[in-house]
Order: sequence, then structure tokens, then C-alpha cells
Amino acid sequence: MTDIALQTHGLGVKYGTFHALADVDLRIRRNSVHSIIGPNGAGKTTLFHALTGRVRASSGRIELDGRDITNTSDDDRVRLGIARSFQVTSLFPNLSLRENLRLAAQGRTPWQALAPWRRAESNREALATADEVIGRLALGAVANRLAGELSHGQQRRLEVGMAMASRPRVILLDEPTSGMGIDDIEAMKQLIRDLGRDHTVLFIEHNMGIVMNISDMVTVMRLGRKLVEGTPAEVREDPEVQRAYLGNMITGDIA
Amino acid sequence: MNPLDKPPVQLGLALLTVLVLPLVLKSGILATEILIFAMVVAACNLLLGYTGLLSFGQGIFFGIGTYAAGICLTRWSIPVPVVLGGAALLGALTATLVGWLSIRRQGVYFVMLTLAFSQLFYFVAYTFSDLTGGDNGLLGVPRPSVGGAALNTPWAYYTFVAVCFVAVFALLVMVTQSTFGRTLIAIRENEGRAAAIGFPTRLFKIEAFAISGAVTAFSGALHAMLIGVAPLSNIEYHTSELILIMTIIGGSSSLFGSVLGAGFYLLLADALSTVWPRWLLLLGLVLVTVALFLQRGLWGLVERGYDLIFRRGRSIDSETPAKEH
Repeated sequence: MTDIALQTHGLGVKYGTFHALADVDLRIRRNSVHSIIGPNGAGKTTLFHALTGRVRASSGRIELDGRDITNTSDDDRVRLGIARSFQVTSLFPNLSLRENLRLAAQGRTPWQALAPWRRAESNREALATADEVIGRLALGAVANRLAGELSHGQQRRLEVGMAMASRPRVILLDEPTSGMGIDDIEAMKQLIRDLGRDHTVLFIEHNMGIVMNISDMVTVMRLGRKLVEGTPAEVREDPEVQRAYLGNMITGDIA
Repeated sequence: MNPLDKPPVQLGLALLTVLVLPLVLKSGILATEILIFAMVVAACNLLLGYTGLLSFGQGIFFGIGTYAAGICLTRWSIPVPVVLGGAALLGALTATLVGWLSIRRQGVYFVMLTLAFSQLFYFVAYTFSDLTGGDNGLLGVPRPSVGGAALNTPWAYYTFVAVCFVAVFALLVMVTQSTFGRTLIAIRENEGRAAAIGFPTRLFKIEAFAISGAVTAFSGALHAMLIGVAPLSNIEYHTSELILIMTIIGGSSSLFGSVLGAGFYLLLADALSTVWPRWLLLLGLVLVTVALFLQRGLWGLVERGYDLIFRRGRSIDSETPAKEH
């Protein structure tokens, strides 16, 4: 096993004639927190779509643990160990929080769920996973509430939990703190840092405080290409990044 | 979870229905018809309420079951259980085909596809009159005895159908409680997310269709044996509509709601039709009322009544947790 969990070589995505993503080389180290930053339209979400298989790469290669997954379908990639959370919260609003997570855990063995005589509770592993994730999200007090009734911050955490419940090795978080209040952001920061201990975490984020604080590596993107990559300190000091567009946004607030 | 939705309660209510119907109804034929449609409507509910699929194709499967029984029983002396099993299998196969093709589109286009299939199968039945009897249907469908028990009196046949009904209802309760049924609910809630966490959602929908089709065709076969005819009207578009109306009146949030829907419709139709020949007009008004004021159907009314009597004063919020399993 290599030290690199997820790797891309010259990855590109074209929408018609528009190059949404071009020549992206990424090397994401195992069990590290790696963030992707850049202005709107930089291709960050397209990169996630390509990595999870929602969008097919038009050029280049994607490797998970050294295995080529460029042509693997999205639900097969879930079983291989990639999971994602969405920028816009996407839950089962009329089901309880625990049921949301149980379903996400069951999603790893979907064929088993085709048996109409098998009780949902017979999959003890899925139940245990759901409870473990509830513990890590610190949402035990509201585990039996309907997902739609949770606060926005709790829903955002559950959104991350849905990705965790499939027991991935690589976890992709698309703007996990979007729309969050200050207390919730702190909780999310703890959660991502905690995830980085036993998962490879790749996340898109606009909140520079979080990015500079918890990332091992930062990739700056612009116009579908990789601009700069390095540790938070390196990126912060990089003259090109500062000149290009981030400037005071980065040097300013470091929580 | 509302205590009324628990499987033992649902099953208990179904058993109670079977026992109460003979006490309150004079006509064994009407009582039997109610149980047959209760199964059909519950099967429709599996698609509408649990999977979120509004299928106008339920009449196809009902008609297929009717013809299967009609053809087999008028031509050969095949044992009834084999006929019923065969009808269910044929219904499942047809529903798999119709489902497989229809779920390729979503929303309005899905509904239109099921409607189109409904018309298609109607004209197939109409055209192949050598097999189906065309406009006249198949007359003189016998009701052979089962395992030595004669079924030729209405109440004897009621008993047989009642046993089938309880078994089918229990089966459907099991399906909705299973990990399969819970995944259907997830697909209804948010199909995109269900796919993102790894479920092949199309396959689940097709299986829901197959189960629904099997139960519907099984009931169609029982219906042919009840009225002694396999009529063309059973495969008509109108039957699909009727099944949907019963499902919506009963409420699609619980299986027993479907039993209420079927019972309510058939009893009301029976009562009104003796009073006024234009009784369908009144039924239209009932449907308008349900759509406007009772969106959870009769079952919603039952739930509200239950909350009023047994859970007054306690907030719903403190009730929901800890009752999940």
C-alpha cells in the first residue's frame, strides 16, 4: 500500500467545449486533511463530481489506493471507499436521524436490502455503524428526531455523517460549513479534524479560518486549474496566491 | 412512530375486519368484494404511499389475474391454489415489464407511461377475443372446491378469501417493515440521496412493482371466481382509476388505510346506488372533500381521533423519540 490514498493525473472535464477542469494532478496523502480553495467557478465542485463518478472524466486518470477507478460507476466507488457530502443539504427529512444513518450504512450492501423478508434490524452492523456515527457527530440527544426537524447546524453535521456511515476511506466534503452560525462552525471544525485521524479528508471550503487551521495541505484552484499547492503556511506566503486574488482574505483571519 | 402503525396493531385490525364484516353485512358477496379490493388497494399503496409512484397501471394486473383464472378454470380443471399462484406469477412478470419501462421517466411522464400501458393492455384484451371473450368477457367461470371444502355458497367463499386476505396483508406488512420497505421509503423521500449512498434505486422500484403486480393479479383471480365472469371491464383504465381513488380515500400512509378505503368506497357505492342512479356524482364530491380537507385520507382521520382520545395533553414531540424500534 502506498502512502497516497487518492491520486489524479492530468484530470480534465469538458462540458461541451468549455474546460471546467484541466490538467489537474492531485496527490492526497492517507489520513490527512486536504482542502481545496479558490473563487467561484474555479472547478472545485466539478473536481468532486469527477472524483465521485457523478461526472465522467474527459481526460486523465483517477487512482484510489493505486487502483485505476477512472471508469468505475458512482455507486461502485461508494463500495470501493469514496463517500461525499453535498453542498446543499440532502437528507431524508421525514425519517429519523438514526434511520438516515442506518440507510447510509446499509448502502454499502444494497443487494441485501432487496430481500423483502429481511428485517431492517437484522443488519446489526448497520445499526452499530449508525450509533457510532451518532456518537462522533455528538448528536445522541436528537437521534430519534426527524431529520427535517433538526437545526441547520445539526443537519449539516448529519450531512457529513451520511458520508461517514458508508465507512469510506476517502471522504469528500463540499462546503461543510455553508450557512452555519459561529458555534456550529467550531463543532464542524472539531469534527473534520477528528475525521482526519482515520480518514482521508478532502474538502472544499470558503472559510479561511478553518482551512488554515486544520488542513495538512491546501490546493488553490483557479479557472479549472491548479494554481498552487502546499501547507497552509506556504500557501499563505505564496506571492502568486496573494497577488492573484486571495491577498488579505488569507492573511487576515486565522482563527 | 404512531402506535397504530405498529405491525401487530395493523395485523390485528385486519383480523378484526375479517371477523366484523359477516356480523354487519347481509351480503357475503359484498363482504368478499371488500376483502378482494382491500388487497388490491394495499398493493397500490405499496407503490403510491411507500415508493411515491402514482401508477395508473394497476388495472392491467387486476385484469391479467382475472383472465388467468377465467381461462384456466373454464378450459381445464387445474386446482385453485395453482391457478392463484400462476396468476400472481403472471402479474409479477407483467408488472416487472411495465415497471421496468415506466420508471425510466419520472413525474408526469411516468404517470403517462402507466396510463399508456393501461390502454395498450385493454386493447390487447379486446382484440384477442378468442382467448379473452372480447367484449363479453369469459362467462361461466366455475368455483371449484379447495382441499375438499366446497366454496359454492357466498359465505364459504368469503371464508376462503378471508384466509387469503389475512395472509396477503401479513405479507405486505412484512414487506413494508423489511429493510427493502424502509429503502423504498428512503427512495420516496429523496431518490438522489438514496442513489448517492449506494442503492440501485431502479431495481428497488421494479421489485416494488413486481410485488404489487403479484398481489393485484392474485386478487383479480379471486374476483373472477367471485362473480363467475372474467369481464373486459376488469382490465379497463377505469379499474386503475377506481383502485387509485380507493387508495387516496383510505390514505396512503398506512396499509390498513387501504382496507378502510376499499371498504368505504364499496359500501358507499352499494348504499348510494340503490338510492340514486347518479350516485357517482356524490362519490366525486367525496373525493373532492378528501383531496381538500383530508389529505391523509380516512386513516389520517383515525390517527387524529386516536391522538384526541389517548394522547391528549402530551406533546407529540416528547412522544416520538424512543419509540422507533
